[in-house]
Amino acid sequence: MKEFSKMLARGLLCVVVALAGCSDKKETKDPNGQAKKTKWTIGMSQCNLGEPWRVQMNADVKKWAEAHPELTVIYKDAQNDTLKQSAQMEEFISSGADLIIISPKEAVPLTPVVAQAYQKGIPVIVLDRRVSGDQYTCFIGADNKKIGKAAGKWIVNILGGKGKIVELKGLMTSTPGQDRHSGFMEGIKGSQLEIVFDADMKWLEPQARKEMESALSRFSEIDLVYAHNDPGAHGAYLAAQAASREKNIKFVGIDGLPQEGQIYVKQGILTASFEYPTGGREAIETAMKIFKGEQVPKGITLSSRVFTKDNVDKGGELLADE
Amino acid sequence: MSRLTEQPRITSPIKLSEQQSFLQSLIYSPTTRALAALIIVFLIGLIFNADRAFLKWNTHRDMLRAVSVYGILACGMTIVIITAGIDLAVGSILSLAAVAFSIFSIHWGWSPWLSVAVCLAVGAVSGLASGVLVATFAIQPFIATLALMVMARGAAKWISGGQKISTAVQQADGSYVYAGVPDIFNFINSKVFGGNISVVTIIFLICLVFCWILLSKLRYGRYLFAIGGNEEASRLSGVPVAGIKMLAYGMSGLLSAVAGICQAAQELQGDPEAGVSYELSAIAMVVIGGTSLKGGRGGIWLTLIGALTIGYLEKILSINAVGEDKRLMLTGAIIVAAVLLQRTRR
Repeated sequence: MKEFSKMLARGLLCVVVALAGCSDKKETKDPNGQAKKTKWTIGMSQCNLGEPWRVQMNADVKKWAEAHPELTVIYKDAQNDTLKQSAQMEEFISSGADLIIISPKEAVPLTPVVAQAYQKGIPVIVLDRRVSGDQYTCFIGADNKKIGKAAGKWIVNILGGKGKIVELKGLMTSTPGQDRHSGFMEGIKGSQLEIVFDADMKWLEPQARKEMESALSRFSEIDLVYAHNDPGAHGAYLAAQAASREKNIKFVGIDGLPQEGQIYVKQGILTASFEYPTGGREAIETAMKIFKGEQVPKGITLSSRVFTKDNVDKGGELLADE
Repeated sequence: MSRLTEQPRITSPIKLSEQQSFLQSLIYSPTTRALAALIIVFLIGLIFNADRAFLKWNTHRDMLRAVSVYGILACGMTIVIITAGIDLAVGSILSLAAVAFSIFSIHWGWSPWLSVAVCLAVGAVSGLASGVLVATFAIQPFIATLALMVMARGAAKWISGGQKISTAVQQADGSYVYAGVPDIFNFINSKVFGGNISVVTIIFLICLVFCWILLSKLRYGRYLFAIGGNEEASRLSGVPVAGIKMLAYGMSGLLSAVAGICQAAQELQGDPEAGVSYELSAIAMVVIGGTSLKGGRGGIWLTLIGALTIGYLEKILSINAVGEDKRLMLTGAIIVAAVLLQRTRR
């Protein structure tokens, strides 16, 4: 009878907790009768699931979390709304999550709520975009400038230091766009590469195709297209293909998602795609370290890989650190 | 005034304009004014021809390709605006159709005819939903189609799982396999007449002719103008206002689906984020052409002129590699100028 009521209570607890959007606190006893925490709940707040790259980030978190059956991850999508994301953070705090992973929409407005969780003793892992100050446990992110620079150097190398380039920029009012441009300029410094045409394609494939059509009708000689994301490079390829010039032009993009850039490289559409890692794997690894009581660094800069036809089946090649 | 149902020909706006003197109607006709804006933009292109790039036919072919998807949306928008309504849902229905078309053709391997037919039905039903809200529940078109805009976008994200539906198909183990591009995609994405005209431009042209017949040759079209001119009078004259309006939004939804199919074929994928803010471009094309937002006045060829005006403007700014900031300011200025040109004394 006692067992039954215990089960019932547990079942009820589960239902209540599931309704509250949070899983139960599992203070179970191990065979030795010692009280020990063996199950953890992680709250994952994603700023916007409208972008494939962020969908991939959630997929990566899910994939690596599944390797640890003791983890339960609750996902929330803030739909590109800072206030919504802030509210979701508060929900995680009040429902008693053991750890929070946040990929914040913007730094300043979300800093207080991250600090609030941190001060309550909930470890917070900040993914991709930063928050201000130091009231968080660990920041994990890639460096767009470094990736742009690596792409620049790689392009200088493959073109033999000379050639005409079309640069299709991401939204130039966004920091990734700015960094992928300035890094690239640093990378090609000193070479004889010439940017003959550049346009802001706002990360959008149809826009990239339109701009590339203009570049094609204006310049009879283009050696390479450097696009700030893979859809942009793909759009440029389609434009060149429509003009029967795709064979004479190389296309290089950034992001390297498995279903996008990597497939394009396999198909020979892109010469190379530079990975912009999501950090999903590192976030779960760091979370496990925190749960086990290990020390974690305050910041982790993710290293990027380059995918080319030769190495894409082997998972790409790690870019060397400077 | 006699009942519209009995003698609808008398109320035709085309017949009325023919009663003015020929020269007068030529100078002050909306068509001439719309053409004036187009010609001015074209002349700007000849002056700023970007190392003669503007003088090549390929540049014009590419412009026509780029403008086609927007133009098809503008066709449906014209019908709705003539009834004094507005359709904000066209961009979202475009993405819904694009995603559905990609799922049907790439993932499920449906035949082209079946995929196209079901997509068109999806678009028409979405449009009709707006129509029911507007006509039966008397919700303002702006609000009703705003709701559909949000819902259709949600539906597009839902059926796609938030991912682009491309030829990279995810397997059960999480790896990706490349599925071939369906023939229908390649066909719509190709060019005809010796590579001089894109297939999507032909589709745009077919949509224009379809709308022209609808607006100018059928009684249905006269009803649309009548409702836009004076809804109450039309009702009293026996025009089935609710049904006509519903159909107008249904047509707009249908044409949005056509645009979505073209969009998917040109991107080789169905993107649930496609078509964001396309409704604004479509409205701009209709208005620059000279169709009145107040309803009752306008025409489909005006929309073609409006589409070409915006298309050429974008192309000229693009081949000259004008920065995004200046592009936006110039585009705004040209829209104002074109609309002012429309408004001179009559």
